[in-house]
Amino acid sequence: MNSPDQSHMKQDCPNKRECLELLQSILDGEATPEQKDHFLKSHLDECMPCYKNYHLEVAIRQLLKTKCCGGEAPQDLVDSIKSKVIQNLTH
Amino acid sequence: MEEEEVPKQQYSDTEKQSIFNGEFMPHINSMYNFAYRLTLDPDDAKDLLQDTYLKAYRFIDSFQRGTNAKAWLFRILKNSFINDYRKRSKEPSKVDYQEVESYYNSEEVDRQITPDLRVEALKDMIGDEISNALNSLDVDFRTVIILCDLEGFKYDEMAKILDIPIGTVRSRLHRARNLLKEKLSTYAKQMGYKNA
Repeated sequence: MNSPDQSHMKQDCPNKRECLELLQSILDGEATPEQKDHFLKSHLDECMPCYKNYHLEVAIRQLLKTKCCGGEAPQDLVDSIKSKVIQNLTH
Repeated sequence: MEEEEVPKQQYSDTEKQSIFNGEFMPHINSMYNFAYRLTLDPDDAKDLLQDTYLKAYRFIDSFQRGTNAKAWLFRILKNSFINDYRKRSKEPSKVDYQEVESYYNSEEVDRQITPDLRVEALKDMIGDEISNALNSLDVDFRTVIILCDLEGFKYDEMAKILDIPIGTVRSRLHRARNLLKEKLSTYAKQMGYKNA
């Protein structure tokens, strides 16, 4: 996405809520290619609030992914579960 | 167990073991994380995880091999959580989500609520801010963020896991994300960002 020319961007978005929902759908992979295309290629270049929201939403998702993922189940728990299941199997 | 469908298959013990090891066990870390985020207690999380996997094995005949095991497992976990672990005493009078959601769908509230948060502030959140912010959300709101943003489920999968319409998935996500941003905005202010 190109760095927008800020002087030509609208500072207010009349459809702020719909745009935010659409933006989230796009980032969730749930929007149509047409919606995605139009929003990312046209709208973001002309709308400052949406441009900001886009970067915010992306940053939050990155933060979630890096900080809130990757934990592991304790090994003793994993072993315990496996052995209980095997016990059930050998009835 | 809530599965109403009559089991379509009867697996042999060997098949069961193969499914369990090959299709269920690979998700155990994600499931553990989910269990922990739901209960916010390591011991409850362990119990919930174990209960879930034992149930999954017990009802393995209801699972159709080759279908989405992760979603199937997450649904069991979520139902087990609701039935056995959700501490009812901690909740105030049961929240009517329909009511809450239609209120928060009004434009007026959105204008007031959409927080002023800057990317710069987020980049400085190198500690537990996001994790704490997530945990501070009501369990139903943090659940949708976990399922969507951490576990990569699609809206239709989430609808099945949570037993809610897709429209509700969308609106709940929208609301949850706004709440998360509010919380992050509060942290940012505490960190000294004036207009964050």
